[in-house]
Amino acid sequence: MRLSATKVRWISLGLIGLAALAPLVMTGYWLRLVTFIFMWIALAGSINLLTGYTGYLDFGHVAFFGVGAYTTGILMVKLDFPFLLAMLGGAGLSTLLAVILGIPTLRLRGAYFAIAMLAFSEALKQATLEFEWLTGGGNGLTLPIYTNYPFFYYSMFAAALLTLALTHWFERSKFGYGLMAIREAELAAEVSGVDTVKCKLIAFALSALTAGFVGGIYAYWMTFLSAADCFSVLITVRMIIMTFLGGAGTLLGPVIGAAFLATVEEILWAEFKYTYLVIVGIVVVFVVLVVPQGIVGLFRERIRTAL
Amino acid sequence: MKFGSLVALDGVDVSVKKGEILGMIGPNGSGKTTLFNVISGVFAPSSGEVLYKGRPITGMRPHAICRAGIARTFQVVQPFSRMTMMENVLVAAMHGGGLGMIEGRHKAEEILRLVGLGEKMHLTPGAVTTADRRRLELARALATDPEVVILDEIMAGLTPSEMQDALGLLKEVNRKGITIFMVEHIMKAVMTLCHRIIVLNYGRKISEGSPEQVAADPEVIRAYLGERYA
Repeated sequence: MRLSATKVRWISLGLIGLAALAPLVMTGYWLRLVTFIFMWIALAGSINLLTGYTGYLDFGHVAFFGVGAYTTGILMVKLDFPFLLAMLGGAGLSTLLAVILGIPTLRLRGAYFAIAMLAFSEALKQATLEFEWLTGGGNGLTLPIYTNYPFFYYSMFAAALLTLALTHWFERSKFGYGLMAIREAELAAEVSGVDTVKCKLIAFALSALTAGFVGGIYAYWMTFLSAADCFSVLITVRMIIMTFLGGAGTLLGPVIGAAFLATVEEILWAEFKYTYLVIVGIVVVFVVLVVPQGIVGLFRERIRTAL
Repeated sequence: MKFGSLVALDGVDVSVKKGEILGMIGPNGSGKTTLFNVISGVFAPSSGEVLYKGRPITGMRPHAICRAGIARTFQVVQPFSRMTMMENVLVAAMHGGGLGMIEGRHKAEEILRLVGLGEKMHLTPGAVTTADRRRLELARALATDPEVVILDEIMAGLTPSEMQDALGLLKEVNRKGITIFMVEHIMKAVMTLCHRIIVLNYGRKISEGSPEQVAADPEVIRAYLGERYA
């Protein structure tokens, strides 16, 4: 079966429409679950913008999520900012940090970049614990409580759509082709006229921006922040697993990877309370071994022709 | 050009004239690729200058030098493996040639046809022969709309008939007004194609002139074959 471009467009619009109407019928557990899935789609999509397209594996990407979350929290609690403004501030700071950090670190390749970023996110975690007057340190930070859950649903939904829109642009723009060339052979890209430094910095900044957005929404949703949660390396690892599971460097990869893993985990968690992580691990290993291109890779030809 | 205490290029003075085909030969390790890397901005020279149309381009980044009009190929081909041949060339046409998506596609298609890859533009580089991957390198360089192309052993590993095709192709490229500066080990190719040849040995220029002059130069014979034959 071959899907035509128009069909795919209608199916996508249909799904987006369904998701937009979902809070009318969903409440409680289901609303929360789907909000989490959108959060993970946005986070996986965020790391995909950098790692999927430039090939730079970022093992500290949670730093931008954490900075987004804590900045939002601090601006709201200490300076009485309204949520929207605080969240924009958080995402802005994440982006700025990425640009400052990217100038030295994006010269490193492969494992060295990954290690530098891991060190950076761990350093931020320690700094958050240290500056107690600002961040609440080990006691965490409590935000004003807001229980309008459909609001958080729509916010995460919007964050997911934003990352997908950016990915869509990467897939079919001059800029995006430049990034893919960097991923495949950086020196050849450079001598073919690609301004690699500028392209990598923009990709890194956008990837930090989207992670920062999600962090800000998460902060207001959870109403409580701790350094251990917000800068947890496990968040980075999940983003990476979801992206590669679904298919790195593709539009739908992070969506499928995040939805798949989050759903599988949820089901397993309910059935096997104590062993579910082991089973999740086995599922991940199985998928990586059987479909190294990710789930999207299975359908690549069909999707390629359609999109 | 130095790497640590190793002097890879020592006082080499080369000028390429507009419209010519200049060849560069020399034994392994004599600094040919290093010279190309210095010209294309991959390495900044430890001393000396690179002038292009009278203006210094020393220390400029490779993409800027490419956009200024000097394109290059690599001795070891470096295709964008998970992109089609079309997309490989499109990247160069857009980023190096300053075209948009649509004009870029037209340009890429035209260049791919020129180098003889018209039928294979939707394949990935992994699915074609070595000769075709070399054509792809050339296509990518040409797509940036260069005035000068620097070719690093573009004919290495080709069969005699593939080489004949390549010779014809390079002549055609040159006829379009593109200056060629090439390194080549295959003497037959160098002798028939190049208007002028320079010879490097141990990082120094030891000879320069027409193919016949260079072939008869005792210095060159000594560098390649040793004292006894000079």
